[in-house]
Amino acid sequence: MSRATDMAVFVGGVRLANPVLAASGTFGYGREYSPYLEPGAIGGLVTKGVSLQPRAGNPPPRIVETACGMLNAIGLANVGLNEFLAHKLPWLAEQPGAVVVNLYGESVGEFAELARRLGAEPGVDALELNVSCPNVKEGGMAFGCHPGAVGEVTAAAVAEAQGKPVWVKLTPNVTDLAPMALAAAQAGAQAVSLINTLLAMAIDAGTRRPKLANVVGGLSGPAVKPVGLRMVWQVANALKAEHPSVDVVGLGGIMSGIDAAEYLIAGAKAVQVGTASFTDPAAAGRIAAELAAYCAEQGVSAAELSGSLRI
Amino acid sequence: MSLSLKAKLLSNEPVGPEIFLLTLEAPAIAAEARPGQFVMLRVCPGPEPLLARPFSIHGVEGGKLLILYQVKGKGTRLLSQARPGVELLTWGPLGRGFDLDAKRPVLVAGGMGIAPMAFAAERLEERGAAFEAFYGLAAKEALVAWDSVSGEGAFYLESWGWTGASEDGSVGHHGLVTEPLRERLKQGGERPGAVLACGPLPMLKAVALLCAEFGVACQTSLEAPMACGVGACLGCAIPSAGGGYLRACQEGPVMEASLVDWKKI
Repeated sequence: MSRATDMAVFVGGVRLANPVLAASGTFGYGREYSPYLEPGAIGGLVTKGVSLQPRAGNPPPRIVETACGMLNAIGLANVGLNEFLAHKLPWLAEQPGAVVVNLYGESVGEFAELARRLGAEPGVDALELNVSCPNVKEGGMAFGCHPGAVGEVTAAAVAEAQGKPVWVKLTPNVTDLAPMALAAAQAGAQAVSLINTLLAMAIDAGTRRPKLANVVGGLSGPAVKPVGLRMVWQVANALKAEHPSVDVVGLGGIMSGIDAAEYLIAGAKAVQVGTASFTDPAAAGRIAAELAAYCAEQGVSAAELSGSLRI
Repeated sequence: MSLSLKAKLLSNEPVGPEIFLLTLEAPAIAAEARPGQFVMLRVCPGPEPLLARPFSIHGVEGGKLLILYQVKGKGTRLLSQARPGVELLTWGPLGRGFDLDAKRPVLVAGGMGIAPMAFAAERLEERGAAFEAFYGLAAKEALVAWDSVSGEGAFYLESWGWTGASEDGSVGHHGLVTEPLRERLKQGGERPGAVLACGPLPMLKAVALLCAEFGVACQTSLEAPMACGVGACLGCAIPSAGGGYLRACQEGPVMEASLVDWKKI
């Protein structure tokens, strides 16, 4: 019988009781999953991306199942900042876990405005900039594919966030992710989250039509885990050399505590559970418990596991 | 309150062409279930197929949950092969069900739309509430043998006094179910408080249009591809008459027909 081990981590300027967060876009505003998770089961959550104005999102069909994964093209549908502050954040702020608000702007100015308004909220622990959504025309991935643009958006948000930690969520749809992570770190980000979904498509051969109304969408689920692990390892190495205080939050296809452990070993300080919550509403809590059991069995703390890859 | 549990499969019997009646031991879900609500069901624990499937609740018997389903693809094919004793991850009951308080409602089921409508009829019977019911089918063979003991395939149509319609004329009215429904709405007689409908999209559209024409309230049960069932993935978008979208899993699956943009759906 292994002894319980220390699962608390300090990541991107935020203390988490355990390294498992629920990922943006897969956990709503938290309350949707409250019937299925014990309070405090996970380290915290990252909200659905919030924009200044409410967004209706893309026409359906918006999702399609693929081999060991799924595509989505939701189009950042969300209630908008005012509704979020009035009706979503108050409940979230009372929950035991950390609250990271994912935010999305169509311009540098909008990112700055969102950071200013959200940075002023005591219930918000950190901001996560979405510069990686593949399913919107303006902003989104357009910012995340150029180091200069990543740096500019990050610097603008950091300047307005009133000391709240800023994380930057990066897209895997680039040749080399390290320059994006370094640009975010240089501009004052305290963590980078990766990976967002992989740009993909699905076709119905019978009708010769795309299965998504948006034609293309983002691939997530267990199919993408090997890509996420590779990118986390590369980015963690690049940051260790140039910005050792900036953390990596790993995500992509985590379905079990062992998957989460692999991301920590690759160099992540914390992880996010996304699509798994769709397949089992209690997944994030189960994964946190499984990760704790793994750490106990290995006789390491979560912090010690991070970056422990043996090559 | 919805909850997630591993439900033991008690039986999974064929009751029609590629149609199965699944019984799960899920007392906590059965106790809360209302007609028109649904559950999410993982047909296997592995990553393929990855997502759970939404299923209408067909009925409850004590602590048992009844699911009537047709094999449509990979997931339902696998489900049809599941044997008693296995445990299936199930969460629910989910979404908005039918409002059964309308005075003298008219139920309209098309094809597999019988799944929630039979549950609605059962609850109305239990209350001793008066209602009328219509059931449209492609052909007589598609009739579902609800009562596995008696083997009565025509159960809904005869024993319950449902008005039947079939596209091939093999049972009931020869034609679409909306034809006898139109006749009913045209009659003077007692005005139905609401029409409650579940079936293929063209049928729902026609029923919604008929109800608008005759000024009768209409509740339609809609479906859309869905990943989570709990309001988080935003996959199950239904175009809203007021612009934007409604979630089939939260604002639905049963929605007032007047809230839906039937031209865009």
